[in-house]
Amino acid sequence: MRRLSIALVLLVSVLLMGFKVVMVTDVGGLGDKSFNDGTWAGIQRAVKELNIEAKVIQSYEQSDYIPNLSKAAEEADLVFAVGFMMTDALFRVARQYPKTLFVGIDITPPKGQTFPNVLTFTFKEQECAFLVGYLAAAMTKTGTVGFVGGIPIPPVERFRYGFEAGVKTYNTLYRKNVKVLRGYTQDFEDPKKGKDLAMSQFNQGADIVFHASGACGNGVIEAARERFSALTKSSNLVDFINYYLENNRGFFAIGVDMDQDYMAPGAVLASAMKRVDTASYLAVTWAYEGTFKGGHMVLGIAEAGVGISPMKYTKGIVPNRVIAELVYLEKLMKEGTLKVPETQEELDAFKVPTIRFPF
Amino acid sequence: MNRRIWAFLVPILSVVFALIVAAVIIVLIGQNPLVAYKAMVLGAFGNVQAFTDTIIKTTPLILTGLAVGFGFRAGLFNIGAEGQMIMGGILATVVGMNLRGIPPALAVPLTMLFGILGGMAWASIAGYLKAKTGAHEVVTTIMLNWIASHLSSYLITGPLAVGSGTPKSPEIAPSAKLPPILTVGAMELTSGIVISVLSAFLMYILLEKTTTGYEVKAVGFNPYAAEYGGISISKNIVMCMAISGALAGLAGALEVMGQYHRFLGTLSGGKGFDGISIALIGQNHPIGIIFAALLIAALRTGSNNMQFVGVPKHIVTIVQGIVIFLVAADRIVRTIVIRKKVKR
Repeated sequence: MRRLSIALVLLVSVLLMGFKVVMVTDVGGLGDKSFNDGTWAGIQRAVKELNIEAKVIQSYEQSDYIPNLSKAAEEADLVFAVGFMMTDALFRVARQYPKTLFVGIDITPPKGQTFPNVLTFTFKEQECAFLVGYLAAAMTKTGTVGFVGGIPIPPVERFRYGFEAGVKTYNTLYRKNVKVLRGYTQDFEDPKKGKDLAMSQFNQGADIVFHASGACGNGVIEAARERFSALTKSSNLVDFINYYLENNRGFFAIGVDMDQDYMAPGAVLASAMKRVDTASYLAVTWAYEGTFKGGHMVLGIAEAGVGISPMKYTKGIVPNRVIAELVYLEKLMKEGTLKVPETQEELDAFKVPTIRFPF
Repeated sequence: MNRRIWAFLVPILSVVFALIVAAVIIVLIGQNPLVAYKAMVLGAFGNVQAFTDTIIKTTPLILTGLAVGFGFRAGLFNIGAEGQMIMGGILATVVGMNLRGIPPALAVPLTMLFGILGGMAWASIAGYLKAKTGAHEVVTTIMLNWIASHLSSYLITGPLAVGSGTPKSPEIAPSAKLPPILTVGAMELTSGIVISVLSAFLMYILLEKTTTGYEVKAVGFNPYAAEYGGISISKNIVMCMAISGALAGLAGALEVMGQYHRFLGTLSGGKGFDGISIALIGQNHPIGIIFAALLIAALRTGSNNMQFVGVPKHIVTIVQGIVIFLVAADRIVRTIVIRKKVKR
């Protein structure tokens, strides 16, 4: 009898202990409308399809990464570490918990080390940034565009390299001289810092500002909306579009990571999307099905890992020719004929290839 | 005696009240506050791992709390603990990196000393400006915070940058690392906590048992009366800022030597600013500050665990905010009471 009850208890507990996913955010946290939210969206999609359990744990500060990852590793079958800043913590914890599976988003494993229980993803940010850079250069009326970065870590810098290369390409093809202003908030959390920096770039003559600064970017978009609505005396999409078409000027932000166009319809020209949701969705599915393999994956335009947003609100003001050029440039990247610089050295040495648009 | 009881009572009652208010909020978001608080307590003290995490977080908070608290006692509002902590961390790193082959008995104190000097020098700039030109320390220390923050970002993404991952400097020499008391999983509890508690006692002795401490307090109470009594205000201002900065610098050095073994981009992580609330809760008393730092650290570690039962981390920010408001409001009340008495 006693044995039977023990067996029953065990059976019930095994049934209750379903597959569990815990995502640990970096200090940016959920609500960044950027890669933390994106990863979580992908996990949520998998949760619905597979009927499993998922939780999110947010980190306050750098010193929370290790304890939070450790606790998550004890509780869950699959742990997500989101954000480049968690690189060191992830590998320290993963070593301690070889039975738990880990996924790192925006994380590269240390040189020469492989862990069978860790799968990491990075993205070719430079490819989608190239497209928005080209778009910004084609659309600016002041001849100046801005870049607002968070902390100059490699993923942020890759966005910048791509953006600058895109501007340079437009300049070369059309014999223009569009300038790029650069600035960093040294932060990924505080929207006010993003807003201040964007405002100062607008004051210095930029009319389009691209951000790669996590939650600071909410402030960048806010700045564009504020400046644009100061012109139009309204913040309606229709008024923005009408004003732009009549007066041929406006203020725009360019979003990052997710499709941020909706955050201020009409004042966000486009978004350089990084499909972290695809990566997290796939990772959960693989772990659940038992096909999870440790290693490192780099997702670019060819893998549909990055791309430019569909420009739901602003497509009407972008000349058809520019839209067609963007599609063609995307095709060149997929084919591998257009290689976008990935490092500062490559950017410095970047020579715009002879591109002949077939139209 | 009465005053002493108040000093104890106010912070404790504030915490209790804040927890009650937060409990209401937890109910409003549809969770059980008892479950949440149980998770919080267990998350902060429930097992060795949790306790270690709490103590690790307490270590720098005691020192930044002391830094701000010491300034308050001298009538100075040092908002620059953040920047001073960064400068201490940087200098300790740069020195610690270059001490390969030197025995720990020499390397540890030397690294620590340079950390202290880094914070001291940085704070002295603000002290000197205040003493010589009257520039308010609140303004100058905030400016210096930004300079320190951008300088450190530049260093670890430029000349000092190493490897991939978080922007960081190279590791300091093994002999310059603080020995761990305890290793739990991926965490290390280092002897830094001993040093920060010791610093609190040193500050207590300095303030309560020495002439210098008496002068500091005299300038804090009423600078003009103190000057009339033969105490140099400007000398005191520079010295107090230096000591305050030294404590914050030590916080940075201990984080480098005990915790990360290198300088990281977000090493300070707002701990300098936390020092302000900790000094307030601890009523600027060194021993009070130890407990206030422990409280804040426990709330933070506890809140991480609270998230596992579905309560957002921001609850703790609310608790912290209410505690600070009440502790500060108590002073407002006291001031009003005293003024009324004077008028009569």
